[in-house]
Amino acid sequence: MFPKIFPPEGYVAAPSKIAGIEVFQPAAQKAPETERVQTFTCPSCGATTSYNISEATLKCSHCGYSDATQVRQVGTQAKENEFTVETLENAARGWGEDRSELVCQNCGAHSTIGVGSLTHTCAFCGSNKVIQQAADQDDLRPRFLAPFRVTEKECSNLAQTWLGSSWMTPESLTKLIKLSTFSAVYLPYWTFDSTTRAKWKAEVGHSESESYYDSDEKAWKTRMKTVWRWESGQIQLDIDDLLVPGTARLSALHLGKIGDFDLEKLVVYEPRLLAGMQAHGYDLTLESAWEQARQQMREQTRDACRNQASTSNIRNFSMSLDFADEVWRYILLPVFLAAYTYEGKLFQVLVNGQTGKISGQRPVDWTKVWLAIAALLAPGILISLIGLITIPLFGSGVVIGGFGFFLLVVGVVISIVIGVQANAMGQA
Amino acid sequence: MTNLNNLSVAGSGGWETAVEMAVCEKCDHRYLIPANGPQAVCPSCFRGALTRLPGDGATVQPELVLPFKVQEQTILQAIGRFTSDLWFAPADLTPGNIRARLQRVYLPVWLVDGKVQSQWQAEAGYNYEVVSHQNRYEDYGGGWTEKKVKETRIRWEPRLGRLERTYQNIAAPALEQPHALFQKVGQYPYEAAQPYSVQALTDASSPWAVGLPEREPQDAWADALPVFQAAAADECRKACGADHLREFKWQPDFKSQNWTLLLLPLFTSYYLDDDRIPQVVLLHGQTGKLFGVRRASRQSAQKTAVWLGVFSLLLIVLSLIGSGFSLLAPVLLPLMAIGWLLAIGLGAGALVPFLMVWWTNSR
Repeated sequence: MFPKIFPPEGYVAAPSKIAGIEVFQPAAQKAPETERVQTFTCPSCGATTSYNISEATLKCSHCGYSDATQVRQVGTQAKENEFTVETLENAARGWGEDRSELVCQNCGAHSTIGVGSLTHTCAFCGSNKVIQQAADQDDLRPRFLAPFRVTEKECSNLAQTWLGSSWMTPESLTKLIKLSTFSAVYLPYWTFDSTTRAKWKAEVGHSESESYYDSDEKAWKTRMKTVWRWESGQIQLDIDDLLVPGTARLSALHLGKIGDFDLEKLVVYEPRLLAGMQAHGYDLTLESAWEQARQQMREQTRDACRNQASTSNIRNFSMSLDFADEVWRYILLPVFLAAYTYEGKLFQVLVNGQTGKISGQRPVDWTKVWLAIAALLAPGILISLIGLITIPLFGSGVVIGGFGFFLLVVGVVISIVIGVQANAMGQA
Repeated sequence: MTNLNNLSVAGSGGWETAVEMAVCEKCDHRYLIPANGPQAVCPSCFRGALTRLPGDGATVQPELVLPFKVQEQTILQAIGRFTSDLWFAPADLTPGNIRARLQRVYLPVWLVDGKVQSQWQAEAGYNYEVVSHQNRYEDYGGGWTEKKVKETRIRWEPRLGRLERTYQNIAAPALEQPHALFQKVGQYPYEAAQPYSVQALTDASSPWAVGLPEREPQDAWADALPVFQAAAADECRKACGADHLREFKWQPDFKSQNWTLLLLPLFTSYYLDDDRIPQVVLLHGQTGKLFGVRRASRQSAQKTAVWLGVFSLLLIVLSLIGSGFSLLAPVLLPLMAIGWLLAIGLGAGALVPFLMVWWTNSR
């Protein structure tokens, strides 16, 4: 049980507050010394190396050299951090200076890099660099990321197919626009885990039939009435790995649409995984992201409580909710970004670099849309009019009019759906 | 693990007054009593006299004492409560008797000093705060309201080391069944103990005796070990600067043990029951909490029962005579009926004292 050699391996002396008592604690694991700026050049020929998605290695495009070192996959077991008072204070401080100057060690050129930038490609010599940003706390550096799985070529093909997949887009769109240049970007994300415990109570309405005497018709009849009863309950939800983008610079709508990343593929952060790609640190602070996450968790819990009621007819609903075991992570996730111009307007496209899911803006040919809506409404209007006209002449005019009205209603509903979809296509 | 070879037992000079060892002929309890004092009765059982033993023996030295602190008023109130509200109390159970027979006894507790060297290992716990949230939602109350709260959690980290420390006055029971005694009169606050001085014995005019340990130091050592361990664990926690400590393990080597005594104050007294057997009464020397068994007196109950029987008999005779007269004067009949009922009632009531005594003594 007790070591024969004292102190044992892996332990170092710690200060003791009482004379006569020695204290030893585990030696802190030193992170390997890394330079603030790491430049990736080929050890064989000196050319620039970058991360190759299809081969999942660092590769030299000049001589074919590749660095086959394995990455360490951790998945959802990746270490999580608690919301300590100290962490929140440090996270609120942000990165400090807006921009900083970088001197290229390859060619000596001076460049300016923006706040939050984690990578840089020298404009003069093309060498790829990964910058270790100075954060007040180790936890606020990215510790894990999910590598790209979709190659640039696959991304282009997916995007081109997607561009022409809707009948609402102009005919000339796929001919004029070739989505071939995508930027591979590692975007900052926060993940949050929490257990929510809620107690709720509400009045829940139950439909019951009751008999009553109709004095006009002199007969007993039944009718439905709502009986309100108080109900209460408790819920506990374990919410794991809720993703919140750590940047406000891209469309939250489209990031949300492509956001089902597989976090089982998370690996330990290594600078070489970012070589040749863009990567940004967070600009949405931990506290702001956690507030967004809490809102989502609250709504999920509230919905779960309401679903627990015996019917969906609820009034005077109230609940109390406690968060417990809250933890977070700061990770980088792969996204392809592209932009194109059509008829003078800029449109953005995002592709999930892991699953290939795509979302973005597309121009709408409103002429087509209005024509379609007109085609949907016309039969209903026409038949309804015919029905109205023929009512005085033939009794069956009522049937015709009724059928026409039904078609009109269906047409209106479908038109609204088409209108909403068309409107959403162009939303940022 | 435990090295008792260096155990030392001090001589009798530390009492600062002449003392002698004595033993009770009846219950075998041993005491230290004033040398050349009058014949003393055993303060444990009050049935036998204390027989002095030759020589001063190998006695241990007193180091700490909890003095007698209870006020006279408190003693009298405790005795008053004890002797009151007892049906058919023995004649000897009076406040005056109990008070007059009070003796001062000091109960022994072993105190051991020891120097210890050991390796140790444990998990040290450090408090830290996290921020959490509590929320409330109401349909018609403005939606969500949120409150930030701070929670304290513990971060556990392994620690190990070596220690070389001396621990003093670690208490271990010197009596065979101390817990039974403490359950009766209550616990003693060891932390309020003061250095021994002879005034603790000689200050008051009432007789005193000091109980001698019933357990040898080597028997008490097993009880002292956990206290040493707890003291060492607490010091290691402080040395680490931790808020908590758990899973403490060590391999101690003890040296230079020194055994002394802590003296705890106790009053003892007695009353005689029907069989003239002393029933012991204990009184905590600091708090005044009293313990004793109250035994009702059969003799007293008998007297009462006899009187009730006599009255009953008298009523029977009167009722008989009255019944005879009621043949001539029927108006006397109801009176006679009442008389008969009273007589039967008193007769039955004569059993009640015996039942009450049986009930009291069986509890």
